[in-house]
Amino acid sequence: MKNIIEIKNLHKIYAGGTHALKGIDLNVKEGEFCILLGLSGSGKTTLLRCLNRLIEPTSGDIQIDGEDVIAAKGQKLRFIRRKIGMIFQQFNLIKNLSSLTNVLTGKLGYSSLLHSLAFSKNKTDVEIALENLQRVGLKDLAEKKIKNLSGGQQQRVAIARALMQNPKVILADEPVASLDPATANSVMKYLGELNKKDKITIICSLHFLSLARKYGTRVVGLKDGEIVFDGTPKEIDKKRFKEIYGEDAEEVEIR
Amino acid sequence: MKKANKLKFNFQAILTDLLIWIYISGCISFLLNRWFELAIPSLYILIYGAVVSVIVMICGISIGRKVFLPTKRTNNKWYKTFWGWTVVLILLITFIVGWILVEVNPYKFFTKFKNAGGIMSGIFDPNLDLLVVSLTALAETIYLALLATIFAIPFAFLLSFFAARNLMPKTLIGNTVYIIIRSFATVFRSIEAIVWAIIFSVWVGIGPFAGMLALMIHSIAALIKLYSEQIENIDPGPVEAIKATGANTLQIWVFGVVPQIISPFLAFTIYRWDINVRMATIVGFVGGGGIGLLLLQQQQLLRWHNVGMIIWLIAAVVWIMDMVSAKVREKLQGM
Ligand SMILES: Nc1ncnc2c1ncn2[C@@H]1O[C@H](COP(=O)(O)OP(=O)(O)OP(=O)(O)O)[C@@H](O)[C@H]1O
Ligand SMILES: [Mg+2]
Repeated sequence: MKNIIEIKNLHKIYAGGTHALKGIDLNVKEGEFCILLGLSGSGKTTLLRCLNRLIEPTSGDIQIDGEDVIAAKGQKLRFIRRKIGMIFQQFNLIKNLSSLTNVLTGKLGYSSLLHSLAFSKNKTDVEIALENLQRVGLKDLAEKKIKNLSGGQQQRVAIARALMQNPKVILADEPVASLDPATANSVMKYLGELNKKDKITIICSLHFLSLARKYGTRVVGLKDGEIVFDGTPKEIDKKRFKEIYGEDAEEVEIR
Repeated sequence: MKKANKLKFNFQAILTDLLIWIYISGCISFLLNRWFELAIPSLYILIYGAVVSVIVMICGISIGRKVFLPTKRTNNKWYKTFWGWTVVLILLITFIVGWILVEVNPYKFFTKFKNAGGIMSGIFDPNLDLLVVSLTALAETIYLALLATIFAIPFAFLLSFFAARNLMPKTLIGNTVYIIIRSFATVFRSIEAIVWAIIFSVWVGIGPFAGMLALMIHSIAALIKLYSEQIENIDPGPVEAIKATGANTLQIWVFGVVPQIISPFLAFTIYRWDINVRMATIVGFVGGGGIGLLLLQQQQLLRWHNVGMIIWLIAAVVWIMDMVSAKVREKLQGM
């Protein structure tokens, strides 16, 4: 399998002086489900957001699907972004619009402003959006406003929105951190399915090792902005776990 | 404390003391002038103020020091300190000077009530024959306020995006645009609608059109402020999510920002219309047409029963607008 993401010597220093990423080197192969583990503040969010330039990296090199992310500007950057779906911990949907409209916004990168203003009238787009809602089991809630949905349902709408982009890669930043364990598992299941069936490469930061073992094909451990572990989920034993999370950490299980 | 900071605080302390004591010496000479007809040249007022402030500064007992420079924590009650008494002096002297300048006269208030007899009897016995004429003028006022609001919306709406800190890039151009629009809005808002009405009544002639233009300008400025503050308060999450789909800036604004602000915008706009109806009455007084102009004419003719009629109508409209706009805004909150 070829590399779909190639990160070389990536640094991020925030305006305040925090050195959040200290020379990250990471290649992700097509079809991988790569889990990012690491303590709070280790740089997971920073890394994920550098990949689609929601944060400007300080230095380094990022290639996604053969395209130079760092050098891209304007339309070029937007065309790269539309190949990369993003899932957020806080769902980041527009609360007073319907699920369907929120899913349709996933198509924005593919249309002009005028076209997109009329997109709720566009038969094919609406059909695709409904299909995507169907895939996450929410077709019946298409007309419901987001603020009337539960957290788990909202995250599934967000997944449908990402699917709308026809993404090669999905970046998920703690997608289940604000959900209860059962709901978390069901949301992860949909991500797992996209990975297996649609061959979408996924990079997902998580706080729970059990979910990482269940869905990940690879685990990358971050600590203070550096990669301290890179291997399969099975390889994480007590010793490795302490390397990532520090000496005092104990593993808690959720299923 | 850094050196530069210390210098700055010292400077602020000295300036504050200087202003305070020049103010006090100014007030005292005003009182001396009123009561004993002593004329004190303004140069002396400045010098007295400066001298006193230098003295208190050197003694280390000044307000400026207290406010801007670190002082040793003492457990003295305020009335045992010099700055405490300075504050008392300022408040007292301000109150006395204010009383004289405003010509406060409780005696007149309690004994000259019968002067208002005409207007009072007018209010309790309004001239109903004027109803049709007043209603016409009132309609003029309401429509004037409505059009002023409607015309203001597109300008304020568009400009407010460029006056929102979180939407403008932190580049030279972005900052410049932001600052220009913000200052434009602040300056235009601080000029009262009544002043605009005077300007426009000369420009386009006395009448409702002048009043509408005045309210429109004022509304644009006021709405820019309200709208852009609303934009600055939106949840940045959805905006980022839309950005991450590869949307361009306009699409981000239309799909990420607008849906979040539409109902507060409506609420503010209706509130603005409510305010405009009230202001339209006042603006009429200086040539803005409508019910205000009619009220002015009738008052100058001393037709108190007509004035009474108009006052009742204005009160009714303001009351109804207030209720309606509160109800609508309440509904919008839940959306
Ligand atoms: N916008 C910012 N400005 C300045 N420093 C930041 C900013 N965002 C994050 N940081 C700092 O960068 C470091 C990495 O933060 P990051 O959010 O990437 O960690 P994380 O692994 O995602 O943590 P969490 O698990 O809590 O989400 C932290 O020290 C954080 O304080
Ligand atoms: Mg994070």
